[in-house]
Amino acid sequence: MWRDLRVLRVVVQVLAVFVVGAMAYVLWFNLTNNLRAAGLATDFDFLTQPIGVDIPGSGLSPGAPIWRALLVGIKNTLALVVVGIPLVTVIGVVVGIARLSTNWLVARAAGLYVELLRNIPPLLIIFFVFNAVILRFPILQESINISDLLIINNRYLAVVGFTAQPNFGPFLLILAIALLISAGVWWWRTRRSERTGEPHHRVLWSLGVFGVVAIVAFVALGAPIGLSRPVLDGRALEGGYVGLASYFAVLLALVLYTASHVAEIVRGSILAVPKGQTEASNALALTSFQRLRHVVLPQAMRVAIPPVISQYLNFTKNTSLAIAIGYAEITRLTFQTIGNGQPAPQMIAILMGAYLVFSLIISLLVNVINRRLELVTR
Amino acid sequence: MTVQADYSDATQASGEAIIELQDVDKFFGHFQALKDINMKVGLQEVVVVIGPSGGGKSTLIRCINRLEKHDNGRIVVDGIDLSDDVRNIQEVRRETGMVFQSFNLFPHLTVLDNVTLAPRQVRNMAKKEAEALAMQMLTRVKIPEQARKYPGQLSGGQQQRVAIARALAMQPKVMLFDEPTSALDPEMIKEVLDVMVELARGGMTMIVVTHEMSFARAVANRVVFMAEGEIVEVGTPEHFFTDPQETRTKLFLSQIL
Amino acid sequence: MTIETPVFEESVVEVEPARGPMDWVRKNLFNNWYNTVLTLAMAALFVWAALALARWLLGADFEIIRVNLRLFMIGRFPADQLWRPWVATFLIAILIGVVGGSLAATARDRAVEAGLPFTETTFRQVLSRFWPIIALVVVILAFTTTITPTLLTLLAAALGVGAYFLGRVLPRAVRRWTWGLALLLIVATYLALAGFGGLGWDDWGGLQLNLFLTVAGIMIAFPLGLLLALGRRSSLPVVRTISVTYIEFVRGVPLITLLLAGAFALGFLLPSDVRPGFVTRMLIAITLFEAAYIAEVVRGGLQAVPRGQVEAAQAVGLPTRTTMRLVVLPQALRATIPAMVGQFISLFKDTTLVSILGVTELLDATFIVNSQSDFLGQGLFVVTLAFAGLVFWVGSYTMSRESRRLEKRLGVGER
Repeated sequence: MWRDLRVLRVVVQVLAVFVVGAMAYVLWFNLTNNLRAAGLATDFDFLTQPIGVDIPGSGLSPGAPIWRALLVGIKNTLALVVVGIPLVTVIGVVVGIARLSTNWLVARAAGLYVELLRNIPPLLIIFFVFNAVILRFPILQESINISDLLIINNRYLAVVGFTAQPNFGPFLLILAIALLISAGVWWWRTRRSERTGEPHHRVLWSLGVFGVVAIVAFVALGAPIGLSRPVLDGRALEGGYVGLASYFAVLLALVLYTASHVAEIVRGSILAVPKGQTEASNALALTSFQRLRHVVLPQAMRVAIPPVISQYLNFTKNTSLAIAIGYAEITRLTFQTIGNGQPAPQMIAILMGAYLVFSLIISLLVNVINRRLELVTR
Repeated sequence: MTVQADYSDATQASGEAIIELQDVDKFFGHFQALKDINMKVGLQEVVVVIGPSGGGKSTLIRCINRLEKHDNGRIVVDGIDLSDDVRNIQEVRRETGMVFQSFNLFPHLTVLDNVTLAPRQVRNMAKKEAEALAMQMLTRVKIPEQARKYPGQLSGGQQQRVAIARALAMQPKVMLFDEPTSALDPEMIKEVLDVMVELARGGMTMIVVTHEMSFARAVANRVVFMAEGEIVEVGTPEHFFTDPQETRTKLFLSQIL
Repeated sequence: MTIETPVFEESVVEVEPARGPMDWVRKNLFNNWYNTVLTLAMAALFVWAALALARWLLGADFEIIRVNLRLFMIGRFPADQLWRPWVATFLIAILIGVVGGSLAATARDRAVEAGLPFTETTFRQVLSRFWPIIALVVVILAFTTTITPTLLTLLAAALGVGAYFLGRVLPRAVRRWTWGLALLLIVATYLALAGFGGLGWDDWGGLQLNLFLTVAGIMIAFPLGLLLALGRRSSLPVVRTISVTYIEFVRGVPLITLLLAGAFALGFLLPSDVRPGFVTRMLIAITLFEAAYIAEVVRGGLQAVPRGQVEAAQAVGLPTRTTMRLVVLPQALRATIPAMVGQFISLFKDTTLVSILGVTELLDATFIVNSQSDFLGQGLFVVTLAFAGLVFWVGSYTMSRESRRLEKRLGVGER
């Protein structure tokens, strides 16, 4: 009987559960014992205790509870991800296509960028950008000041910001309506082109209409948007939009690094489109731009999207490297709290959980997009 | 129809040569793929090009619509002298249609979109007009019901017929066929050949590179035999298959017939 | 995959065969207005960058590297034990030589059997293939203060070349055991550093530590990854769930979190009398991390083996385990080689992360030297980071180029 496949399967699985369970139990036992012996909490109550460190740029005092600090950390991570991923996409696609240009200099320049950045560790790039670029800027008191519109020093970058003046609400409303109108213009121009066959120029039309309405509304409502100029006030900057130097260092470094990988993927995906597609397009007298837009890029995109999304995931995970230059995203905050004596296993568990959530969201997005883009076959 | 070993006259269905090749050479590196080709194709003429692999047949027709660039000589298509000028090339490509051995349909577009893409983009046709034209062409190749499907859902024979419809939708003056049935399973070859025969009988000027002798016998005005980059022998189908002159021709025919 | 341009040539103005350099320049760079603008802008950029680079190179003070070269290379290895790293270098040179020679001989034999042409690699070709590494070695040697390192490097090179030719002439039967010999040499290298009163890896540092973490990480992670990959394909739901959970969990978190766990949480999971050294903790974290990625690479390889192979094996009556061993795995593993090299390169770059936790590998060395009293506050970070960056770039670039060559070769020389 013990040779029977079914019995074997059950036995093996029961064994597997037992082994894994035993291992887990031993680890758990050790964990709780050691935590208790070190006088550390074994639960998550410590999250209400004060963080004990200053978090630049967050408005939180050292007395704020840890869990609030972690939320700030998540916000900071997202600040990198939300701005970084679009930048990575744009730069990556442009450089990837540039590498296939018939202009030899452009192609070589793109190739140089990709081969250089792809092969250097991202942590090194972050340090390099931080030390060789950011820290080269003058100190706070001697900031570069471009007529109060832009202030740069080695700790902050501040640009002029916008403030709401009277009539701001109505202005926003009109902008929303303008958006709807330009969407309508887009639709109208497309239909017109289908009917008559003439080029639609819909991008120009929509943008034009939106711009005209916005400008007219702006003037008519008496300039409902004001400027808030950044001002050096002692040791801080007031007004405008202020960003941390460390943020920009991490952003620039990771964007350049990840974009170089995306460029390679884009290039490979365009080269992967079978030559016959190009020939058929040429035989039909399509111009190279029409060929790119209607035949090559749609097919290249299908090949490119899974690995590109993987790069987005890498970008998100690499934001943890900001720990090295003091940008207060979640990894750094975890590191600091552990340094302050809070229990490490729980903190790290929370940290990993946060990244798992990010990864899961992005992975789900991948599956959805992949399914929609699949080529239809028998 | 006289038989010349090195060049051919255009047959006189209407008297004009719509395609003319004069002293055309083509090199791939050191390898000479076309040697001193002289050929005229008349309006409404059906020319079938046969020969062993590597003999230059595909290169010849690919030079006509500039998928390959010839190195010496002159190629004139419908009065347009093929040169390096982009506008020239585009003009020629508008007047010639090509059907490939590997179909090269656009897999991400429906059959209908495959056929309407070029008329809409190149001839600026309106969408409704283009779709009507496309359905006409699809009916002509006998698969109008497949219009909404994707190429991946069709059989090889159906895909090739869509490819023919796609080329026809540009209303070209000449249709070029590069071994259109070589990649098809035997049972599907007939359906494609039938479409091509009907096209020929309808008066389309065609240059067809193929191994299908049945097609040549049915509708060809002339058969051109090419080997090692040169035109070896030219003649009517009857002449070719009953009384070939050149040794190379006889050798080749003995291998395929 | 070469960079040739099949896609974009066509509808742009066709270029006649260039009648000389001026003609080529005109057709490729200036053939229409926007190309002209781009060319001028790019040329200006290139010139400016080249000038800035040249100016920096000539003016920078490289003393900081010269003085601290040993720290960069081997960390805090004691000066009187220097012979150990050198012996290790010789052993590695021999290892690379023998394996390279043996592979070349196998390729040649296969080509001869198949009746295909086989061109001998000329010295010139080797130079053009490996110029980055050679350049790097020259640069590093330029920073040494005595002639000894140069002589020893030449000795290592000679040993490597000798081993290459030895590997070439080995008869086929002996060549099968090259992998055993490689393993032996690796163990010998470890012993040279740690055995006979030497220093275990917790005391290693510098570039040596980066290389060690990479090699050891992949080697130890590989069996684990293989098991996970097979487990993921298993039909037993429990086994599959465990494998998938592990893989997706580890792939979803950044390496630094695992390193943090290794540094701060591992201690809590082990009985209180087990206190692994710091580098050991890092190695454990790296191994667990890599195993998940290797599992995915192997999975890709397994998927690449056509179903027909298994069916054919079953048709002749091979049991499952033998089919796996003799039919599926050999083909699968060969298919994974390019991706495995990619993983190797990734890990090599990722070993820099341990610097965050204070382990003195190459990147951390750059921080340490900049805090030394002689060099503090002189803005020499650029110099040291450029040096470290160069080392990583050369390693990474060379490996990825070799991987591409291997990919092409494997496609051709298949059985």
